[in-house]
Amino acid sequence: MEIKDTTQERVQARDAAMRLLNRLTTGAAVSAVAGVALLGAFSAYTIPGTTSSSTASTSTTASSSSSTSTSSGLQSSTTPVTSSSSSGVAVSGGSR
Amino acid sequence: MNNAVLWYATRGAGAVSLVLLSAVVVLGILSVLRVQTTGWPRFLTVGLHRNLALMTLVFLTLHIVTAVVDPFTHLGWLAAVVPFSSYYRTFWLGLGTIAFELLLAIVLTSLVRGFIGQAAWRLLHWLTYAAWPFAVLHGVGTGTDAWSAWLFTLQAFCVIAVLAAIGYRFMTGSRDPLADARSSFQGAVDRREPR
Repeated sequence: MEIKDTTQERVQARDAAMRLLNRLTTGAAVSAVAGVALLGAFSAYTIPGTTSSSTASTSTTASSSSSTSTSSGLQSSTTPVTSSSSSGVAVSGGSR
Repeated sequence: MNNAVLWYATRGAGAVSLVLLSAVVVLGILSVLRVQTTGWPRFLTVGLHRNLALMTLVFLTLHIVTAVVDPFTHLGWLAAVVPFSSYYRTFWLGLGTIAFELLLAIVLTSLVRGFIGQAAWRLLHWLTYAAWPFAVLHGVGTGTDAWSAWLFTLQAFCVIAVLAAIGYRFMTGSRDPLADARSSFQGAVDRREPR
């Protein structure tokens, strides 16, 4: 009778340990998947590795209302370009 | 899929793989030391060690696949298989390739342990002690986030845990389950034989 009880206890302890093993394995798997997402988010936050394009597009839209934008990104001058015809000035006697 | 998402997944999976591998090493050392309590039998340590080792391979595969298929990196599959063949951080990436292949060899030989024999399996299993530092160095040298506070903390935690387990093993030695029986038997023999 005593031997039977001992065997029963051992079987129950083994079953409990197996259940614990399954729970720990499942928990580790779920934690690992969550860890990839969480650490991926951490890495994205600390070193995104990409530049934001929204700022550039906003500034382009804002500037387009006041000046003409070209495809190369250069803007036309708001003041007229004039040519100078004055004589040149020679500079001499420069020192260190 | 967005390239940035692949890159973030590579970094996240790499960090998780390092944590899992460190846990596998610690559990392996604890199983050698035959650590057990009433509620924690030894086969639980061994079972968890085996399951986490398989899980590590899964997340390492995710780490490698996301890195290779990321069109921004152009690493190529050869770099994932042949050590030191990558154009990008050749040495550090090569350490990661070696660590992965060692771990793959350890897991595969563990699955066919009955065929190769205990002695060969034990010998190959010692490669774990090489695979883990290679993985750590790969993370430090290649990892984009190596010096970010979160990954640095994670790596430090892993290194401390494994070094503590190794130190504990060296201090306690490998426990022989029959040591007491052997010594008492030897004592009985010594008492019986007149000298």
